[in-house]
Amino acid sequence: MADRITPEWCLAMAHLEIGHEVGAGLTAIDPVPDEDTEGSDESRLALGRFVSLARRGRGMSIDTLAELTEVDVGELLSIERDAHHLPDTRTLYQLAQIFGVSQHKLMGLSGLTRPKDLKYVDEAIRYAALSESVARLTKEEQAALDGLIAVLSERKGK
Amino acid sequence: MTPPGPKSISQVALMDAVSGAGVPAEFWQPITDKNLADWEAHWRPAIQEQLVLLSDAGVERHLWPQSREWNWRKKHNALGSSLSNESAAVMAAGVTQGMMIVDLDFRARIEEQARQHMVYIDFLEVAPWNRRTLTGGAPRYVGIGTLMIGKAIQRSLELGFKGRIGLHSLPQSNDYYANQCGMRDLGSDANYNKLRYFEMTPDMAERFLMRGERSGR
Amino acid sequence: MSKRTMTLNLSPEEMDVLEALSLKKDLSKTLLLRQALRLYQRVEERLERGETLFFEDEAKKQKAEIMML
Repeated sequence: MADRITPEWCLAMAHLEIGHEVGAGLTAIDPVPDEDTEGSDESRLALGRFVSLARRGRGMSIDTLAELTEVDVGELLSIERDAHHLPDTRTLYQLAQIFGVSQHKLMGLSGLTRPKDLKYVDEAIRYAALSESVARLTKEEQAALDGLIAVLSERKGK
Repeated sequence: MTPPGPKSISQVALMDAVSGAGVPAEFWQPITDKNLADWEAHWRPAIQEQLVLLSDAGVERHLWPQSREWNWRKKHNALGSSLSNESAAVMAAGVTQGMMIVDLDFRARIEEQARQHMVYIDFLEVAPWNRRTLTGGAPRYVGIGTLMIGKAIQRSLELGFKGRIGLHSLPQSNDYYANQCGMRDLGSDANYNKLRYFEMTPDMAERFLMRGERSGR
Repeated sequence: MSKRTMTLNLSPEEMDVLEALSLKKDLSKTLLLRQALRLYQRVEERLERGETLFFEDEAKKQKAEIMML
């Protein structure tokens, strides 16, 4: 039987794997957490909204932000638009630097760490909910962004 | 005495993640001492390094690579002379880039092919430097997992199993099997650490192979 | 892969079963016998390790130990 997995096939298919991890098999380390306890989508939505507002508040395109942070455009798009996307720690570090907020709090919102203080998470979700995603920042969005920055800054209620 | 090499070698290819260029690679059957030595000398230290970074960054343990305690030497030794298990490795740049063990005695679960024979992927792992990590590490080569899935389908065809394959996905790979491979998601399996079980029918397998054949031309 | 050939003599009854199973499993006779050999080897290994083989009927809450294999 002819082997259909040729080098050409491999190269034509390799792109499927970009941004994905492929693994299979019984782990027997930690049982997989129940899906409803896996990092909150709500707080990840707040993170996405914050990045989107903060970026637009500075008049930046995704491309510009990608260049400044040296983070892939795809990763930034996923953070802004996909509440299931798990950002990596380096990306959050870069974003925290650019937007002048706390990396620890961004990690907490992303679900990478479990925040000890849940107050800022709730507040961030509340501010994020105030904003509506439209092309330009409205006064209300500006207010939501100011609120998010205050909540996610290092100084306020660590 | 030179240790025994693989019984069969076929030519495959990987993609360099940075340049996008093709990299020649080989598919070895079965796993050899060289592959296990690579796992000990290269994979394990790299995994340890990643765990230190994840730990330092305070990343939740359930987000750490789930295969971090897999011991390929033990897995390999457990196979013995069993006809039901087969193993394979992907080699490029002189180093093992991925390994896989399959089982030929599992039966399919999707209703329309329930109890039919299939190739069950017991274990599939890609070398740690070829994975995206939560600490910002970028993969070196891509396409290793995809080619191993392709080879499992090929094996299923050779055995008369029509391309049917099944596997329990690591949590970080669910999206890949469902959306990139087009496998059927049969949900979380209470008997397997709650891992999600995925399966391919002959139709799905054929579509998967055809995708690479059409765009490859 | 190098292969070796052998002749297999089966009774008509055995051949009927082989044909019926090949049809049911949609496998050639050779592939079916290979699968049977793998399974036989696996069962033998597990029994040698001191394990027991059961068929279980969850609905009837019945468990039957397979002795003959």
